[in-house]
Amino acid sequence: MLQFDHASLPAEAETLRGEVRDFLRSEPGFLSHRNSDFSSGHVPEFSELLGARGWIGMTWPRAYGGSERSFFERYVVTEELLAAGAPVSAHWIADRQSGPLLLRFGSEEQRRTYVPRIAAGKAFFSIGMSEPNSGSDLASVRTRAELDGDGYRINGTKLWSTDAHRNHFMIALVRTEPPGDNRHAGLSQLIIDLKNDDVDVRPIRNIAGGEDFNEVVFKDTFVPRDRLVGEPGNGWAQVTSELGYERSGPERFLSAYRVFAELVRAAGPAPTTRQREVIGRLAAHFMTLRRMSISVAGMLDRGRDVVVEAALVKELGNNFEKLVPEVARLALPSATAAAFTTAYRDTQLASPSFTLRGGTREILRGVIARGLGLR
Amino acid sequence: MTDPLLLESAERIFRDYADKALWDAAEQGTFARDLWQALVDNGFTAMALPDSGFALGDLYAVLKVAGQYAAPLPLAEALLAARWLGDAETMTSIGLALPEAPETASAVPWGRVAEQVLVLPQAEPFADPQRLADLSERSTLRVLSTDPAAAASGSNLAGEPRDQVSGTLAGSVEVAQPVLLLALARAVQMAGCLNQVLQLAIDYAGERAQFGRAIAKFQAVQHMLAAAAAEVAAAQRASDSAVAALGSERFGADLAAAKARVGEAAGVVAEIAHQVHGAMGFTHEHQLHHFTRRLWAWRDEYGNEAEWQRLLGAEVSALGADNAWGFIATPA
Repeated sequence: MLQFDHASLPAEAETLRGEVRDFLRSEPGFLSHRNSDFSSGHVPEFSELLGARGWIGMTWPRAYGGSERSFFERYVVTEELLAAGAPVSAHWIADRQSGPLLLRFGSEEQRRTYVPRIAAGKAFFSIGMSEPNSGSDLASVRTRAELDGDGYRINGTKLWSTDAHRNHFMIALVRTEPPGDNRHAGLSQLIIDLKNDDVDVRPIRNIAGGEDFNEVVFKDTFVPRDRLVGEPGNGWAQVTSELGYERSGPERFLSAYRVFAELVRAAGPAPTTRQREVIGRLAAHFMTLRRMSISVAGMLDRGRDVVVEAALVKELGNNFEKLVPEVARLALPSATAAAFTTAYRDTQLASPSFTLRGGTREILRGVIARGLGLR
Repeated sequence: MTDPLLLESAERIFRDYADKALWDAAEQGTFARDLWQALVDNGFTAMALPDSGFALGDLYAVLKVAGQYAAPLPLAEALLAARWLGDAETMTSIGLALPEAPETASAVPWGRVAEQVLVLPQAEPFADPQRLADLSERSTLRVLSTDPAAAASGSNLAGEPRDQVSGTLAGSVEVAQPVLLLALARAVQMAGCLNQVLQLAIDYAGERAQFGRAIAKFQAVQHMLAAAAAEVAAAQRASDSAVAALGSERFGADLAAAKARVGEAAGVVAEIAHQVHGAMGFTHEHQLHHFTRRLWAWRDEYGNEAEWQRLLGAEVSALGADNAWGFIATPA
């Protein structure tokens, strides 16, 4: 019924794992923040170092700056970076979905312009999907882009665009035709230059006190016509294709990894019965989720459609990411080691976002239910 | 990778024989002799022999199908015992030692029909302090020739016989990792059983109508089933990974993770399946409980979740925080 075929990581992926670990050991300065959440550390210099090693855009064609590596190799690099708590958020979205989107749907000129810069760790992208009145119901977006001479005139507001105040570009889902009977029709994707186009980017403070996500306001913002990605009106099919990549990776279950590691450290070499139980429970979940995610990497490598499998990984992984701080804190005395407390606080404060970003738990359960034939 | 034809053949036999009448009769103590004979006739006991050409993984693939059909047999014990003894002719089950009575074994699945019982050395294999390495060592299992008539009957909460039997010492056999291999059997049986329970719940939700529509159309029900499906998927992957690790140095850790994780899934999925089935699934007449009670029973046999978690946690702690990731991130 639900098929997650066994997949072993090939030898070259394990060789690469050693290279990534060596690299991380040689750059301890970038590991000071030690947070496994993929959206927690925006450090362009670190992204550029990864780009120089060919660890961004790994599966892409060499002609566009990629390394033509397998999804397994990409998997290993991403999980090693996350587990180490490396700062990966600058290039994360561009690497995970903007690059693949442009390679699949973009014009040749767009591919030549943006993709090699992404792979070099020098062009960072934000997502422009949600709006003040469009969250889970993405097809209801109201931001309009109207043809005006040799370009589009954009009006509307995008919301929750992570790092839009730091990144170079956004791929925005906009309405290019008025809504008709088919609400998925008439949507298109446009590349916005966040540094040069006339847009207003306003950071929004989150409950952790950080400013990572943004409101991005377009007021008669003009972008040239060659920023349209794919065919006009094909936006819905394009955004849904992005989501398969977005939902099955190790970032969907490793956000709380540092809490686990610090729990192991705080519990020490002679843990209590309860501590062993909690550590073992969490380890069993990490091991299982990881095998599921590797299985999906194998399916992606074979070009399979993974919408339901990705939703299953994200559903389990995100719930687990919330479970980790909940059970770890109770396995330690309430006044405990600072490293645990720091990792714990960071993760607990970020935890509400785990089951919201990339599709809420409720939306994912709907996707799974459809896969089970219930709707 | 197990031959799909072998699995199809196993599935056909279990489907033909395993039904409500058989489960009820077995719970009354009647051994499913026809099903057993069909398995013997089709070579499913002979395949357990070490020189049969079948891998240990093939036995587990068959046990998963047996779990899917709640086959009321001591199949896991019989197949593993046949493997260890090189004897598929003598009906053999496996039990735990009783410290004061060397010629008695406890908690023996279908001890009442076994001609022979292998006795695990430990009375309490999971008593603290215990490390995975202790359970991975070779142990000597005593072989008892038993008199089925003298068995004291007991049962687990699924009503499966778990008897105390006495006999005469007939020899011994050296076995590597016996407790681990038995725990893996329960993990894969649960994985098969979980598939069935999810399917029953999905089918029932599609058939049962309330408020003018199938209850599967209600979002609350869809979300419960989606959550159950995720648990079932995790259980499949965890148990398959442990089977794939058979014979490798990772096996102990992967098995510990699998038994703990599948056991967690068993509790969640059984709860959801019953909620979806409503009062109908709470009746003895319905078939659901033959599966859910087995899930509740099997998660406790050969080590419950907490016991395997403690063993796994001890491994991680011994390595320390900076090596914990290396322990989790294995190639398999």
